[in-house]
Amino acid sequence: MAEPMKQFEVHTLVPLNVAGLDVSITNSTVWMAISATVLAGFFTLAFARPSVVPSRAQSVGELLFSLIDDLAHSIIGHESKSFMPLVFSLFGFIATMNLLGMFVVPFTPTSQLAVTATLAMLTIAIVVVVGFWKNGFGFFKLFVPSGVPIALLPLMVPIEIISFLVRPLTLALRLFGNMLGGHVVLNIFGSFVVSLGLLGLAGGVATLGFLGAGVALGSVVALLALEFIVAFLQAFVFAALTCVYLNDVVNLHSH
Amino acid sequence: MPQFDFAVWPGQIVWALIIFVSLYVVLSRVLLPRVRAALEARAAKISGDMDEARRLRAEAQVQADAAAKEIADARLRAQRTASEAKAKSADEAKARQAALEADLNARIADAEVKIRASRDQAMTNVRSIAADTVVAISEKLTGEAPAAADVETALSAVASAN
Repeated sequence: MAEPMKQFEVHTLVPLNVAGLDVSITNSTVWMAISATVLAGFFTLAFARPSVVPSRAQSVGELLFSLIDDLAHSIIGHESKSFMPLVFSLFGFIATMNLLGMFVVPFTPTSQLAVTATLAMLTIAIVVVVGFWKNGFGFFKLFVPSGVPIALLPLMVPIEIISFLVRPLTLALRLFGNMLGGHVVLNIFGSFVVSLGLLGLAGGVATLGFLGAGVALGSVVALLALEFIVAFLQAFVFAALTCVYLNDVVNLHSH
Repeated sequence: MPQFDFAVWPGQIVWALIIFVSLYVVLSRVLLPRVRAALEARAAKISGDMDEARRLRAEAQVQADAAAKEIADARLRAQRTASEAKAKSADEAKARQAALEADLNARIADAEVKIRASRDQAMTNVRSIAADTVVAISEKLTGEAPAAADVETALSAVASAN
């Protein structure tokens, strides 16, 4: 039986060492690059000759664009246009990595905590920078909820600070956990199909193994459908939360 | 778990940042503006077409109104002309009738005068015939002619008795 965790192993393809840092090109980095290229390539081709009556690819591109544009606008409001490219890049990058990862050959970079943590930290860093840029030191008002009795502030402010500090962690772990769990479950159920099928070949009572293999195969098919939804949804959730966090600092005064 | 092999973290972090930033630059500078431009071009085209259609409809409405007004005017003119013609012909007919009646009345009066004259003439003749007859009958019967004055007196008495 294959190790369910083996699929997450990072292999060095081109060893690279810059200033004492191991920045080797690995299967993970290669599939990140491929995902980014696929996404950019899709939009390049779909909008090579944009027309008023869109082609199928252009329709899909416009649909994805409108999805994120509307999401950003509904959460952030009239200033959403300047943040929409960031949110879309996060959404598109994660969605492409997740969806490519659903196939057999590609490696799934989003199943690496290093990658999801990098994206989450980057997002929160941008939120903090935008917060200071928009509000100066008024940014710290984020931790002082309005309309709360002063007596409760000593309790509320630490809670707010903790909830803010936990954001990058939850952002990273949610995506990482979903991808990890999905792939592990698919791998385990897939290996059940093989091992129970082999058991069934033994004959006698063991023939029931074929039944078990059938059930496992059905589960794999159902889970695969679910995982495709999760792959898209987790990218969307990441984008939506990015919008929420940006909104907190962009529209700080209205809280 | 292979994910917690921290030896592979630096490479993944550095490359994730490089790749994501490149993707962000390409998307935000080149590709997403194209998508927005395409969407805005469509929205502009649709609203432009709608405006044009609205303008054409207004224009057509104005023309239809003008045509309806023209038809109403023409109908009014036609009615006026017709009623004028009717009144004129009625006047003419009345005038002709009046002239005809006057002419007829004049002729009737003329004829009546003539008839009266001939009747008076006839009545005078009857009287002279009666006188002659009286004279003749009396001559036959008596053998002598009555005096003309007696005859006149008798005739007048008969005439007034009648």
